[in-house]
Amino acid sequence: MNEAAPLPEAAVVAERLTKRYGSLTAVEDLSFSVAPGEIVGFLGPNGAGKSTTMRILAGTMSGTSGRASIWGVSVALDPAGAKRHLAYMPENNPLPEDLRVEEYLTLRARLKDVAPDRVAERVRRVMEDCDLTRRASGRLIGQLSKGFRQRVGIADALLAEPRVVILDEPTIGLDPHQILGIRELIRSLRGKMAVLISSHILHEVEQVCDKVVIINRGRLVAQGRTEDLRRELLPEAAFTVVTRADEATLLAACRAAEPAAAVVAAASADGWNTFRVTLPVGSPARETLAGALIGAGLALREIAEERFGLEDIFLAATRRAPGEGRRS
Amino acid sequence: MRHFRTLLAHELRSAALSWNTWAAAGLFLALMGGIHFFALVDAARAPAPRSPVDSTLWFFWLPLLCVLPLLTMRTFAEERRSGTLAALLTTPASPAAVVWAKFLAVWIVWALFWLAFAAFPFLAAQRLDGANARALGEASALWGGLCFIAVSGLLHVAVGILCSCVTRSAALAALLAFISLLALTAAGGALETLPIESWEWLGWLREPAAHLRTFGHLQDFTDGVLDARPLVLYGTGTLLCLGLAVLTVEGQE
Repeated sequence: MNEAAPLPEAAVVAERLTKRYGSLTAVEDLSFSVAPGEIVGFLGPNGAGKSTTMRILAGTMSGTSGRASIWGVSVALDPAGAKRHLAYMPENNPLPEDLRVEEYLTLRARLKDVAPDRVAERVRRVMEDCDLTRRASGRLIGQLSKGFRQRVGIADALLAEPRVVILDEPTIGLDPHQILGIRELIRSLRGKMAVLISSHILHEVEQVCDKVVIINRGRLVAQGRTEDLRRELLPEAAFTVVTRADEATLLAACRAAEPAAAVVAAASADGWNTFRVTLPVGSPARETLAGALIGAGLALREIAEERFGLEDIFLAATRRAPGEGRRS
Repeated sequence: MRHFRTLLAHELRSAALSWNTWAAAGLFLALMGGIHFFALVDAARAPAPRSPVDSTLWFFWLPLLCVLPLLTMRTFAEERRSGTLAALLTTPASPAAVVWAKFLAVWIVWALFWLAFAAFPFLAAQRLDGANARALGEASALWGGLCFIAVSGLLHVAVGILCSCVTRSAALAALLAFISLLALTAAGGALETLPIESWEWLGWLREPAAHLRTFGHLQDFTDGVLDARPLVLYGTGTLLCLGLAVLTVEGQE
């Protein structure tokens, strides 16, 4: 890590960030923060403004208004100071084709102010951490597969042991084995560095991140821990019920337990019908639904509560109007 | 400053390993070798007002227009196209350090090309006896000419770097550099041939025309005349071009 210094409250702060290209507003009034050591997923549909926001935070683009700071250092007022705490891997991970991996990482270590006597050790360390030592260290970057190129990008990000790492789509184009490797690598950073990561693979984000920030059309629509967002955005409880009963009979049995229950038919095969039963948030019937259905004499084969994943949260968040119901 | 040294070492190493540099070196030496050969042949046929070295140096504009754009075209355009410039700027290295490192690396390569050319007159002199060798021209004229190339090269390379900053296409950067260097080299001569004296409203051009005499500067250097004005012109022009290049790199989004 860099020199010992008091921990700031937030490693990354975006405060009312706005970026306009002429009449087009790419990012508007966007505020969020990332705590030291926290891994935060940055989500949004294509064109939502994720990469623009990340580039502003990384100092490769200036915002139209608002404030961005990295480890307490303003990106606009002291870009070099902010960059000393930051590593940024852009979306397409541009790398020079004509350098060998070790040469490239050595150059980057020198540019990132790694102490001259530690350059070789840091390069060797990140190459080991990113599994580059055996198969890629002496090869030209232009000859590497997509997976290895992504590893080189992440190795570069970790070289100078920054306080903050911003990764824009680090798993794009990787196969499942490679994704697993990158996921483990990012997970290993928890508590050591603040990580802001954007990805379209929501399962990955859910597996790795402590918190998510969701934007749509350049504006914040939700942020917080996945559990909190689940309660906020998807307040109802849903069950999958497989029974021989018809919809009306099932609805009557459910309404006996919870008057506000709703039933939707999903599928039917071999005399068994599959329904989706939803109950309002906090309904006591959530605990007693199975007993109520059995008590009503329904032939039940299966009853299971649905777990809403990040995908459902993302869809619910991006459906609602930007700015509505933000969490902080 | 540490970043500048790191970047300069990287740029020089990249230039040494690049096929582009070696192709440019081959073209340069072929051009200058050919010109010098014909200058020697001409000098052997009949006495000429200029020595073969002077005559060869008089053609400095040919490699300037044909070779220098090949050296400068990829410096920023290629890095902008591939996105590696943006990645470079995420490090604490400043845009000024990046621009100056690339500029100095190209200038050093350009100077090395001309130093390599200096071998031709020496080789020719070694093959001839004393009197004939003296007829090839004074060594001081050669070194004076090379000093002119080194000094004017600062501005010429800076123009090429600026042209490479403003586009993502290396071919377009080369074309822009060619046009700019052609204009810069020919401007003084063109302005001098205009009947400025008879056009009162063009009178303000008289002063700039006097300063932009590129071939006049070459003549002064080869004659050993030390005039501060060309030094100021090339120095300030270099700083202006590099300043604009830094602003362009900083403003790229």
